[in-house]
Amino acid sequence: MKAARRIPLMKKMLAQFGIEEERVRLDWVSASEGDRFAQLVNEMTEEIRRLGPFSGNGGKADD
Amino acid sequence: MTKPKIALYWAAACGGCDVAVLDTNEKILDIANLADIVFWPVALDFKYHHVEEMADTSIDLCLFNGAVRNSEQEEIARLLRAKSKVMVAFGACACFGGIPALGNFTTRDEIFERVYIESPSSANENRTFPQTLTKVEEGELDLPEMFDTVMTLAQVVDVEYFIPGCPPPVDIILKVVDLFASGQLPPVGAIIASDKTLCDECERTKEEKKIARIYRPHQIIPDPNRCLLEQGIICCGPATRGGCGVRCVKANMPCRGCFGPPPGVIDQGAKLVSAIASIYQSDGQEDINRMLEDIVDPAGTFYRFGMADSMLKRKSLPQGERRA
Ligand code: SF4
Ligand code: SF4
Ligand code: SF4
Repeated sequence: MKAARRIPLMKKMLAQFGIEEERVRLDWVSASEGDRFAQLVNEMTEEIRRLGPFSGNGGKADD
Repeated sequence: MTKPKIALYWAAACGGCDVAVLDTNEKILDIANLADIVFWPVALDFKYHHVEEMADTSIDLCLFNGAVRNSEQEEIARLLRAKSKVMVAFGACACFGGIPALGNFTTRDEIFERVYIESPSSANENRTFPQTLTKVEEGELDLPEMFDTVMTLAQVVDVEYFIPGCPPPVDIILKVVDLFASGQLPPVGAIIASDKTLCDECERTKEEKKIARIYRPHQIIPDPNRCLLEQGIICCGPATRGGCGVRCVKANMPCRGCFGPPPGVIDQGAKLVSAIASIYQSDGQEDINRMLEDIVDPAGTFYRFGMADSMLKRKSLPQGERRA
């Protein structure tokens, strides 16, 4: 269950980087919940589509 | 035989790296015997035009400390690169961005606002900010342009070697001088430190890594013999390259990570998130929340020296505001 601690800490850190919280999501799906899995993936895809591509950061402007 | 030529420069730096060179004490005289120091702003009165007048690759070794955060530093980095055979990123700031790169959590405008308007010692009703060009009766005055993003030296020019540390320890500096003098410099791209992690070199007793609470260094007097991380103090040893002599930990202070990531670790901060969250003991959401509260500033703690060199490099700039 390390992920249960890593993901919230990473999310707190990503917020400091100005990265939208919705880009990272942790959920639990059992092997028998195929429908739920498909639904979560669709939701996530929709969410990311809404947010648009992540723009790279820093370095030179022409990177 | 003519003596080899050495140049030293400071960009976005605190001066500590230059002091570290002086800390070689009487050995500095050996360096001066061994080589001609042709440029060293902190100690010798050479000007930029002296460097401009030198032939390309006529400097044998350039030790460049500090990060790059304005147009002057970028220009001098390019100039010294052209004039030098071997370019060395010297110190944590030049290698990874260092402390100045914590500025990548903000923007130039925010920094100007804080420094020239909000700071308690400012009285600046006309909102006067530094300008890159100012017209006065006698002509135009110019200042370097400050960038939004602090960069590592290698993000600006090609670099042959990296000497990490804030500042690099004297024994590593002397080792590099020896290697250089004897023509035994390692393959290009080498990071001149250890290939192990700091934990591998740390002699503290390590038992089971499990923590139930995080202490900031001022909240606890740590046992000088036990692993600091196991005592709940965030120590960056698991995600930091060795080679410093474990100097902070020996002084009972946690490692802050100034030697950068060890071999095989791409992102020091991500590695630390993983390492610290995995050993934190939790029975449920309450414990996780406490961990999040205890780690007050994860990004600033885990990327204290490595922000410019990290995968994300900086806080996102608002769309349309990207510039160097
Ligand atoms: S690496 Fe440390 S000592 Fe060197 S310039 Fe940067 S802050 Fe100063
Ligand atoms: S975490 Fe720190 S104190 Fe513990 S072994 Fe690693 S370097 Fe030493
Ligand atoms: S213990 Fe860590 S912070 Fe201290 S000098 Fe060594 S690498 Fe740098």
